[in-house]
Amino acid sequence: MKLHYDDATERFRAELRAWLEENQPDVAAVRADPSRSSAHVPEWARAWQERLFDAGWLVPGWPPELGGRNATPVQQLVYFEEMARIPVMRSYNPQGLTIIAPSLRDFASPAQQARFLVPSLRAQITWCLGMSEPGAGSDLAGLQTRAELQGDRFLVTGQKVWTSGAAHSDFCFCFVRTDSEAPKHRGISVLVIDMRSPGIDVRSMPELTDRERADFNEVFFDGVVVPRENLVGPLNQGWSMAAGSLAHERGMLWTSQAARLEQQIDRLRELARTPGSDGRRLGEDAVFRDRVASLYVDVQALRCMGYRGFAKFAHGEAAPEHSVLKLFGSEIEQRLCLVALEAQGAEGLDVDWAGFGMMGDREPPWANRYLHTFANTIAGGTSEIQRNIIAQRVLGLPRS
Amino acid sequence: MDFEVSEEQEQLRASVADVLARECPPSLARARVEGGDAPVQPWRSAVELGWTGIALPEAWGGLGLSFEELGLVVEEHGRALAPGPFLATTTWFAPLVRETGDEVAGARWLAAVARGECTGSAAWGPDLAGRDAGVRARRDGDAWILEGTQRFVLDGDSADELAVAAQVEAGDGCALFLVPQQALKCQRVVSLDASRPLAHVGFDGVRVAPDRVLGEPGASRGVLARAREEASVALALETVGTCRTLFERVLEHARQRVQFGRPIGSFQAVQHKCADMFVQIEKARATAHFAMMVIAEDDPRRALAASLAKAAAGDCQRLVAKEAIQIHGGMGFTWESDVHLFARRAKTGDLLLGTAREHRARLAALLEL
Ligand SMILES: Cc1cc2nc3c(=O)[nH]c(=O)nc-3n(C[C@H](O)[C@H](O)[C@H](O)COP(=O)(O)OP(=O)(O)OC[C@H]3O[C@@H](n4cnc5c(N)ncnc54)[C@H](O)[C@@H]3O)c2cc1C
Repeated sequence: MKLHYDDATERFRAELRAWLEENQPDVAAVRADPSRSSAHVPEWARAWQERLFDAGWLVPGWPPELGGRNATPVQQLVYFEEMARIPVMRSYNPQGLTIIAPSLRDFASPAQQARFLVPSLRAQITWCLGMSEPGAGSDLAGLQTRAELQGDRFLVTGQKVWTSGAAHSDFCFCFVRTDSEAPKHRGISVLVIDMRSPGIDVRSMPELTDRERADFNEVFFDGVVVPRENLVGPLNQGWSMAAGSLAHERGMLWTSQAARLEQQIDRLRELARTPGSDGRRLGEDAVFRDRVASLYVDVQALRCMGYRGFAKFAHGEAAPEHSVLKLFGSEIEQRLCLVALEAQGAEGLDVDWAGFGMMGDREPPWANRYLHTFANTIAGGTSEIQRNIIAQRVLGLPRS
Repeated sequence: MDFEVSEEQEQLRASVADVLARECPPSLARARVEGGDAPVQPWRSAVELGWTGIALPEAWGGLGLSFEELGLVVEEHGRALAPGPFLATTTWFAPLVRETGDEVAGARWLAAVARGECTGSAAWGPDLAGRDAGVRARRDGDAWILEGTQRFVLDGDSADELAVAAQVEAGDGCALFLVPQQALKCQRVVSLDASRPLAHVGFDGVRVAPDRVLGEPGASRGVLARAREEASVALALETVGTCRTLFERVLEHARQRVQFGRPIGSFQAVQHKCADMFVQIEKARATAHFAMMVIAEDDPRRALAASLAKAAAGDCQRLVAKEAIQIHGGMGFTWESDVHLFARRAKTGDLLLGTAREHRARLAALLEL
């Protein structure tokens, strides 16, 4: 057991920091042209992702031709710690970089990789992820969007929903039913669908926090033609990819989650210096102190839990233990924002805040943050589904 | 950076677990709770196998390993619901004597601990504040006279030697002394967990000779704080161990007990309770292991880490003990079931050396809220 990184790892960190110092996007550029959805990649963001790729800092664990430098697991951990400290994201098409690119790398043919993988990594093409449907959310395997194989093409008909970034993306990594006779997990395949194909209708839906921000979409497919060569992996074997792709996302997600939570604890400490409703400093309120300390314990515990399990995660294993970190982390954030909001009293009702973006000149109001935390307790498997997974797959309790 | 135990540590842990599974079934704690005499085991094994001196220097007959190894052994003691003097001797008494830097005292008493010839504990106040005002010391020639009472002293009426924190007029107001059992007036507490005996200890003009003064009277507050940090982390580790076994029993019961034609563990209400218990256990365990490393490496975050670990262990036992009784149904309500024994031990771990809430208060101060 060791609390600290060795010198070589710290040199790795220093090198990364120096590079980031030189190469981070300019704040003014970011504010002038903010990203408007999870697939809207402004020019500054595209150039930034490309710089990361060229320098081997995009996916350090991968080889140089894929934007990496064959970094060791410990180096990757340090990488994610550092990337969580800067105010911009690695990619403004996060599902493209963290879910779809790894899936392509694991399951796509060489020809597909040549066509889609490097362009995705360089932010030349953007993606949406077509999993959920009106009748298939938590029960993803119940999806009904049909793809009929006719010669060398599929005809796709059906509907996806909650599809983040669909309105701005070039392609959809789409889970479709290719065998309606087979048991539901066995008739699913994955297609890459060009979002400019005829027969696709995208309708954006604003989110609960902000009428102006519409990352959510409904996507309708009506006889959309998809060439057979866009089938990823074997026919009817898409289900394993559903589990696999989300696992990639989880592997190191906790590092950025923990870092974000630590930053929010700092904001709570700032809040403690402001007067509460009775005029005294909030920091003198015993209940507030207890709650903040409790959140602090949870945040530090999340980090320790991540470190303990990280060897497994670093190998990209679809360990069901990921569910523990996902569940715990997302629920801490929800509690944290609520503690802050309630501590503010009536002041918390002022949600006058212009605009979305990572580098706004003001912090988002706690009420907005609180509402936004449901993104993490719902997306990627709800908290209830995570509890089911922990009970059944980690603890081995019998299925209901 | 490595939060995994090493291969050697894992071997040690597994061998300790093995021995305790054999020599220390929960029936030992039960016998003690039901009024039986102090059991010989698992202390005898601990002595024979060198666990009593695991973190003591080789010069004093110890194994010269670190607090990490000791912590793992303590966690296993918690898992086995071990009764006996191991916790107080190795994680309360020994650190307090060692932290004074008094080589003579170390060579005498800690060597005896390593050999298993001396058990000990610390009379330093049972809560986080460590109220030592209960005992006052005044100089009498080159000796000291102790007056007052220290309440809720772990193993207070059974440990051979007590390291006592007392109030003095000089310096930082804190002094440490070693007092043998015979000099004390003890009143056994009828405590929640009688396999973790507590006593109110009276010092009725006890005269302490100079060779039993630890460190420098009036300059001992820092020593006391450091030893208590170590003891708190050990107690957190023990509590985590106890909660882990309790949780294993819950899972076993949930798989086996059938109602409405299926195992109760298939009901989602039960599954979700179990998932939440597991999260709390992972949280407490990861935090306790972090704190264990901090103590072992003497990292400057000692106070913070100790409070984190103790608070997380407190949260953990709170949920795990409650749901364990609930999920066992009527069986959980019986004296005969072991569930309450584990629940009593775990709660005792929370209430000694500062509850979760007290440690959060300290964290709030450290965070400068
Ligand atoms: C911010 C955000 C972004 C998203 N982006 C995408 C995207 O890009 N692509 C995509 O395909 N999808 C996306 N989703 C959809 C997301 O994956 C689904 O919302 C999620 O899987 C839940 O499905 P649902 O909304 O149909 O809810 P339901 O499955 O209907 O669940 C409703 C409630 O019932 C509970 N419930 C359901 N089943 C069980 C059960 N077995 N046991 C206990 N409780 C249960 C749930 O926990 C929940 O509380 C996104 C969602 C959000 C919030």
